[in-house]
Amino acid sequence: MVLQWLFILIALGFSKPEATHPLRLSLCEIEYSSGKQILSINLKLFLTDVNEAIVFDPYSKELAFCQPNEPAKANKMLMEYVNQFFYVKANGKKVELKIKRKKLSGEGENTALWVYFDYRHPAPLSSLEIKNAVFTDLFFDQNNIVYVHVNGKNKSMMLNKKTPVHKLKF
Amino acid sequence: MLKLHQNYLVLLLLVLFISSCKEKSASSDADAETEEELVQRALAIHKEVLTLDTHADTPLRMIEPGFDMAERHDPNETGSKVDYPRMKEGDLDAIFFAAFVAQDIRDDDGNTRAKELCLQMIDSVITSTERNSDIVGLALNPEDAYSLEKEGKRAIYIGIENGYPIGDDLSNVELYFNKGVRYITLVHSSNNDLADSATDTNGAEHGGLSDFGAEVVAEMNRLGIMVDVSHGNDSLFYDAIALSKAPIIASHSNARAVTDHQRNMTDEMLKLMAENGGVVQLTMLADYLREAPPNAERDSAIAVLRANMKPIGEMTKEEKAALRQSFQQVNEKYPNPPATVTHVADHIDHIVEVAGIDHVGIGCDFDGGGGIEGVFDASEVMNITIELVRRGYTKAQIEKIWGGNLIRVFKEVQAVAEKIQS
Repeated sequence: MVLQWLFILIALGFSKPEATHPLRLSLCEIEYSSGKQILSINLKLFLTDVNEAIVFDPYSKELAFCQPNEPAKANKMLMEYVNQFFYVKANGKKVELKIKRKKLSGEGENTALWVYFDYRHPAPLSSLEIKNAVFTDLFFDQNNIVYVHVNGKNKSMMLNKKTPVHKLKF
Repeated sequence: MLKLHQNYLVLLLLVLFISSCKEKSASSDADAETEEELVQRALAIHKEVLTLDTHADTPLRMIEPGFDMAERHDPNETGSKVDYPRMKEGDLDAIFFAAFVAQDIRDDDGNTRAKELCLQMIDSVITSTERNSDIVGLALNPEDAYSLEKEGKRAIYIGIENGYPIGDDLSNVELYFNKGVRYITLVHSSNNDLADSATDTNGAEHGGLSDFGAEVVAEMNRLGIMVDVSHGNDSLFYDAIALSKAPIIASHSNARAVTDHQRNMTDEMLKLMAENGGVVQLTMLADYLREAPPNAERDSAIAVLRANMKPIGEMTKEEKAALRQSFQQVNEKYPNPPATVTHVADHIDHIVEVAGIDHVGIGCDFDGGGGIEGVFDASEVMNITIELVRRGYTKAQIEKIWGGNLIRVFKEVQAVAEKIQS
């Protein structure tokens, strides 16, 4: 019981203020050039959203992303979540997402976690199907902007709870 | 001479006495007005005046595959706050759709991509107005809002939120002007190459406006693009107002004396805005309208959920999904006490008191986080007018607030541009 109240006090002290970032947003960038034959994908996610989705506490230090004390399980837990709500299919085949690197940018409420993936894909790339519904399980008004750059041509789109998937043909 | 002065004094007192009796009588009449009559009077005013909202991030919605501005969307299901049917329902005559590009990496690649996204959103707005030309029209000049209103169409203006898509190429300002852009918000939530943001956690970088930002302001003056200082830090405001040859705007900002937030404007800034002839457009973002009161019930319920959680490593996917749903249910059960039109009118009252009736307007920030109880989306904007009428604002004053002031500034900005170009 004492432990329970301790948790309550801690939670009260660190409760999430309203509208941490009023426009619920994430960014995703997908790039491919036939020359390099590498499909690079990166996700830029607010760290508070990542923590809320994975450990149910926006201000948790448990996963300590990109810190020296980042636990071995952090990437696994991150990808377990990401794989439920995000995928890219190249020429109809789902890309296996393996984290190449991560970084943090910004501070405080605006801290963003960047997650980079690379995938070798021989030319030609004729289609990309993208699902990006990250955090739509937490926020009904989450907006996920996806920038796509393929062989010098660009197309951007906004995916969300209502429209989580879109297919582009090249 | 003294006697003459005394006579004038008596006359003045008499005039003041008669006018105060008149006001009292009018006030008594107003007291006798029922709530229903007041609402009807307010709605009639709302219909008659030009209603112009200077800030909506709807272009972001327009790049959602399949999103159709001609369809009515449920804001509670989709998060969408503006479409043409709801503009009609709310009697919203004109709006600035702002192409918002979130701040990202400031290098050539980042700048190029920001420009491409910005152009894609601008083109989406133009295409949408062309597809729906029976109910809306693309507006480029101040008077277009009135002429389109006469035709029974909504006026769609274009702005850019964040100068990031200008990159480091001044010629982009004219490119955007030629596309129809009529205001540019110099910066957003992080510093860019033009200016410092009010909310960059790293603090100021340029001390307000950068040298390149100053060139951009001059170019905006030359072309007739309104300089928008919302999101900028205080130094940016002072730099922009000193440098701009035309009056400036804050397309979506509130009063800091009412709600202490760094995004809001101090009384000193409001007074300078009045001297400058500019305008501050009130925004419907809850955090800028009132300080969120504590929500102890929700915090306790969330703490109990956390305390009873299994270790996360031992949870199955299904258990995690169920827990996320439980957190959502708690948030829905104990929402934060809302911001309301009362808060909006408190800010308007304050700006009118400090800067005057000629320097305040409305910029809701729908589709960018804006939306409060009673003004949740474009279909509910008439509730602002009802509250203003309730507080005693006249039709002429409401006309200024709902668009007259912004249109005046817009005209002056164009007049300055003509002068510079001549």
